[in-house]
Amino acid sequence: MAEFLNTYGPLIVSMVLGALLGLSLYLPLMTGQLSLASPGFYALGGYIAAILSTQVFPTNEGSFPIPLLLLEMLIAAIVSGILGVLVGIPALRLRGIYLALATIAFVEILRVLSLNLEITGGAVGIFGIPQPFASPIEYLWVALPLLLISMFLLYRLEIIRFGRAFVAIREDELAAGAMGINPTYYKVLAFTLGSILAGVAGALSAHFLNTWNARQGTFDASIIYLTSVLIGGSRTFVGPVLGGMVFTALPEILRAVAETPGLPIWLAQLLRDGRLIVFGVLIVLGTIFFPQGLVTPDLLKKIKRQEQ
Amino acid sequence: MKKTTAFFAGLALFLSACTQTNSNTQTSSISQGIPIGVALAQTSNVALLGQEGIQGAKIAEKYFNDKGGVDGTPIKLIVQDTGGDETGAINAFQILINQNKVVGIVGPTLSQQAFSADPVAERAKVPVLAASNTAKGIPEIGDYVARVSAPVSIVAPNSINTALKLNPNIKKVAVFYAQNDAFNKSETEIFQKTLKDKGLDIVTVQKFLTTDTDFQAQATNAINLKPDLIVISGLAADGGNLVRQLRELGYKGIIIGGNGFNTSNIFAVCKASCNGVLVAQAYSPQHSNAVNQAFRAAYLQQYKKEPPQFSAQAFAAVQVFVEALKAVDKRSDIAKMSLDKLRTELNKELLTRKYDTPLGEIAFTPVGDVIQKDFYVAQLQVDANGNNGKFASVPK
Repeated sequence: MAEFLNTYGPLIVSMVLGALLGLSLYLPLMTGQLSLASPGFYALGGYIAAILSTQVFPTNEGSFPIPLLLLEMLIAAIVSGILGVLVGIPALRLRGIYLALATIAFVEILRVLSLNLEITGGAVGIFGIPQPFASPIEYLWVALPLLLISMFLLYRLEIIRFGRAFVAIREDELAAGAMGINPTYYKVLAFTLGSILAGVAGALSAHFLNTWNARQGTFDASIIYLTSVLIGGSRTFVGPVLGGMVFTALPEILRAVAETPGLPIWLAQLLRDGRLIVFGVLIVLGTIFFPQGLVTPDLLKKIKRQEQ
Repeated sequence: MKKTTAFFAGLALFLSACTQTNSNTQTSSISQGIPIGVALAQTSNVALLGQEGIQGAKIAEKYFNDKGGVDGTPIKLIVQDTGGDETGAINAFQILINQNKVVGIVGPTLSQQAFSADPVAERAKVPVLAASNTAKGIPEIGDYVARVSAPVSIVAPNSINTALKLNPNIKKVAVFYAQNDAFNKSETEIFQKTLKDKGLDIVTVQKFLTTDTDFQAQATNAINLKPDLIVISGLAADGGNLVRQLRELGYKGIIIGGNGFNTSNIFAVCKASCNGVLVAQAYSPQHSNAVNQAFRAAYLQQYKKEPPQFSAQAFAAVQVFVEALKAVDKRSDIAKMSLDKLRTELNKELLTRKYDTPLGEIAFTPVGDVIQKDFYVAQLQVDANGNNGKFASVPK
């Protein structure tokens, strides 16, 4: 058990971070808005933590104090929240594919900025980010509560007035407006909540990865997380959590499977060298056979009924 | 309610397990071969570089095992793919350290990956030898991190010296660099600093992206300022196209290419326009020592072309591990040592020795940076129809 945790500690932490990013993409999707801006805020949060911990806070020897890490996450949340409102108000006037395009543009702007600014270290990025924990797995002390709290809040959100309003807008924006729901307000709210979550996850990731650069949170990452949300299921918060975790872990699981003794050589070779191909095939099969995602509200209801 | 309590109890158990520290006290099982990890990219957009490294390491494995390995015990390379990103490098390192129980690691491919994964090895006290990380600050990551790849700050200035020798009247210099690539960004800083130190006048600094194909705007801007020398930090595809367009727009002076030009792929891109471009190299296939001749012959036989720099550097990294292991074994039998002890001893030993590698004679500074004796400046020579190109070394 200890050896398993030692080997796969970082993977478990990245799975939790993946789930958080999945949730941050899911929030705007709750109101039916296809926004790909989350990775941008993820990158922003990471840069905030990286700059604060390497340049602003005193870097004494030994491990980085955890309260400062939490402070960084708070600052990242506030900055992402403010920027989320500023970007959200104009961007959410767009719908569907145009919103997706605008948010991709936003992510690109942040990337080009971070490549050109002195403070972000250009293409090399920021390195030597101090570590608050002795081993990677201990990041779970922060990451796991963060995920559980977010999941609990989303669970609550789905059954209170705000959540109902989100769903109403997703199902029919005009009808929702006619019922006295202010669509812009709720859409910006969902977008901003998603940005805050992404920013906080980014701040934690910067410490976890030891380094931060412009290759984090790019357009490619947006697509991977969008896929994980869609395949996990975009109608309930369990879907993105599951999707984010599975998609982060899958390439590594395939690597581990390839190492199992007794496999025919060609199969082991395919799993090891061609694991990204297998990964891609699984995505295609997932979208064909689970168009609503793996976890749907119907499925959850069925499980509940069986329990009773 | 009961379920929730059980869930949180399980969670608490899991988290308390997280804080346990694992220590490797058992002796390393090296009878079937001493495991040396290779964490390089076999997939993603840096796979080309990673595969060159793996080729070099594999040739080293065979070469040293044919010579008897470490006093009779063969070495065994274990390759784990890092992909092109930071998480991939961390995962590969974790598996090599905890599961494959390697004595040391060669890798990762990119400097950015090294900034991410090397601290993992540092904390686990596993020696890492970088074979292709050239950015500033790599050996400084920790005591267990060293590199055989000479930093850009040492390699790059050589080509400027050569250019000044070829044309002592150079005054005005135009600098180009790919701003979205970490390596080229740090390389151009070194180039610009060297140019300033030589008292040359940098008339313009033009930026481009590694994905660009049209450089007319930047090239025209630079040529209008009438530079005597142009220094380019870019990768093969973009850099090659830039050279071609500079020549087409009528630039006649000397061009210096950065390390990104250090591949035979460049000839396919710029054909005859590349003739005469100067490139500084950390490795030359023509180096005359015995180990390089053997390495070059083995590489030529297997891949039918001259060995590239990354292969030679990976070979050198494996060689450093093998020779240091031999030295440790001489003092006390490594088969009886615990894995933790062996890793620490190996790390201490490898920094103190001198090695005669395909790169020439190398040693390490106390912090773990390479001290390399020989550097080379090559001139690209392409025949008029642009089909056959080669790197011809320029006498110093």
